[in-house]
Amino acid sequence: MNKLFVVGKLLLTLAVVMVFTVGAAATETIVLWYPGGEITSVALLFHEKDLFSEFEVQNDCRVELVAQDYDFMQQKIFTALASQKAVPDILFIDQSWVPGFLKEDALDQVPEVDAAAWLEAVDPVVKQASDYGEGTMYCYPQYGADIYGLTWNKDYFAEAGLDPEIAPQTWEEFREYCVKTCKKDEAGNIIRVGYAIRHLGQPHGVVHKFLWALWSAGADLVTDPKALRGGKAAFNNEGGRKALQLVYDMLYTDKSTSLDFPDPRTAFLQGLASMQISETISIQTRQPTEAPNLKWGVAMPPVMEKGMTPATNYNPWVYAVPRTAQHKDLTWKAIKWINSKEKDYQFCVKYRMTPRYKENWDREPLVSDPYIVALRAMIPYAHPYPNNLGLNGIMEALGTAIQKVWHKEASVDEALNEAERLANKAIEEAAK
Amino acid sequence: MVNQIKQWIQVARRRHYIHPYLFIAPLVISFTIFRLYPSFQTLRYSFYQVELLKQKTTWIGMENFLALFEDEIFIRSFINTLKYCLYMVPISTVIGLVLAVFLNVKFRMSNFFKAICFSPYITSTVAAAMVWSWLYNPQFGLFNAVLKLLHLHPQSWLASSRQALMSVIIFSIWKIVGYNIIIFIAGLQTIPNVYYEAATIDGAGPFTRFFRITLPLLVPTTTFILIYNTILAFQVFDQVFVLTGGGPAHASTVVVMEIYQQAFLKYRFGYAAAMAVVLFVCILAITIVQYVISERREVVY
Repeated sequence: MNKLFVVGKLLLTLAVVMVFTVGAAATETIVLWYPGGEITSVALLFHEKDLFSEFEVQNDCRVELVAQDYDFMQQKIFTALASQKAVPDILFIDQSWVPGFLKEDALDQVPEVDAAAWLEAVDPVVKQASDYGEGTMYCYPQYGADIYGLTWNKDYFAEAGLDPEIAPQTWEEFREYCVKTCKKDEAGNIIRVGYAIRHLGQPHGVVHKFLWALWSAGADLVTDPKALRGGKAAFNNEGGRKALQLVYDMLYTDKSTSLDFPDPRTAFLQGLASMQISETISIQTRQPTEAPNLKWGVAMPPVMEKGMTPATNYNPWVYAVPRTAQHKDLTWKAIKWINSKEKDYQFCVKYRMTPRYKENWDREPLVSDPYIVALRAMIPYAHPYPNNLGLNGIMEALGTAIQKVWHKEASVDEALNEAERLANKAIEEAAK
Repeated sequence: MVNQIKQWIQVARRRHYIHPYLFIAPLVISFTIFRLYPSFQTLRYSFYQVELLKQKTTWIGMENFLALFEDEIFIRSFINTLKYCLYMVPISTVIGLVLAVFLNVKFRMSNFFKAICFSPYITSTVAAAMVWSWLYNPQFGLFNAVLKLLHLHPQSWLASSRQALMSVIIFSIWKIVGYNIIIFIAGLQTIPNVYYEAATIDGAGPFTRFFRITLPLLVPTTTFILIYNTILAFQVFDQVFVLTGGGPAHASTVVVMEIYQQAFLKYRFGYAAAMAVVLFVCILAITIVQYVISERREVVY
């Protein structure tokens, strides 16, 4: 009898365990990969424990958030896709990676109905960044896109006798302000640059921080930025030469900057640079902890000549779905849910970021936040990256040319000629 | 065939050499799976256009190899690798030999100094390179702080296209010298003392003894060091990746770095495989040449 009772209990326990495990296994799990660490502030929301809990309850599923090392994330994604094992369902990636994945036909298209609704509801620059031609979308840009702006140290401006509230408007003023706010020691070594340059690391990063000059000089990366295929390199011209020459002159004629301060944002936050041009979002999130006493301003980068239209980068992080993901319907549903108008507003208020939906710009506190107001004034002049599938090759070619010129390895003409040849080769290969 | 195998097994059992094969079988199997198979796969891929994401391989013959000769970045990386080898190998060998001769003499705490010299070799290359990247920092680095103290002009080090490769070479020499010292000490200890005694009696000074006895009898050890360091030099990657990433403007890029870029950043596996085959052929050729030359110089007293 006792034995029977024990066996019965064991069987009952086993049955209960099986019910729960089978039940759990039946729940769909979608996996989202995002870059861990502090590489991007817009990934902060993935640290929230209950981020998708409402969606999970509504759809009887689980959303697993997996942090990846940013430096190796592209390779990990590629390896997962190539091996077709452990393919993530959602990729949270830098939009400049998208052409590389599209070239390999690796990304799924956003459902047409959802794409049309999104493009109708969002800000024009967000729409431009989302549209890969004739309303086709492959990804949803995240809120708080990286809009590149000129940030300056107000104390250093005041110290140099400049108005601390007004940024330089033209390249001529920019050079003048750099000379005045640059500081040297007794031996003549620069200990504080007027403008910190990015010239080291992957060529892409160098190009990101140079585009404001290229665009404001009337040049571009490629002739038809919206086309996925075709076109030619558009930087080997008068505008491209002037843009390269600007920083070259600051380095070797004015001597108001130096190659020895290669991380512009860190140099700016540590007080080693009076000005820098890069992601405003990065300064906004890092300044309170890294430089709490820093008084800084943000404005559009300067134009080549008075009266010209300013230009800057708009570089969002995006949600994309691999073509070989297993739970596509649920995945797109989750992406739509996290990118709804209300969620957009909620996260922008919480993290003090720029929204995507037209209506959300006019809601408090966003409409009166000085940082958001400054970016709102800048966003109409922001350009997203070209959609060209050869973008990686174009950026590498131009980035190398920039490094060669600023390191005096080649003249401006030599460097741009070579870069144009390599960029056109990349465009041709990508078009095949 | 089956009968032959059965016969062989019977003979092997009688002569008791089945056991050794069993003992080395795990190593042979793992070597075959993780070394031989990937190597042959790489050779195969070098003749194809490989599109892993599309699960497609297309035969293109020698196209990948021909494209290498027109690729300025690959040519630059090859030249940088040769420069790296030409500086790193002889300098680290000479420093290793000189220090080994000093450390071979018994003195107080000689073992402690040997351990100090060897410790960079056993340190993780990536961790050490990260520390050195801070030492090289133009604003906060120790090297520029020392230069400023000596009233010398601070250098750009890794931030300069003219100094980046040399900065990597300096790190690599620091890293490998300890290993060279240990191997040279082992070689020095195999030289019988009787030769030095005889030479001393004949009136030979310390330099004569070094050049006429020590160096010639160290040829096998020196050969090993040179071949080993040359192979390492051609395969350099970790320190370049961490310190400079191959930049600025490809000034410090090396062949293995370029293989990595082509395969894992541009997904051109066939092209990267062709580079790997070229690298293998170069290392093999140089190793054979070094070995043949050193065989001729070997001395027996």
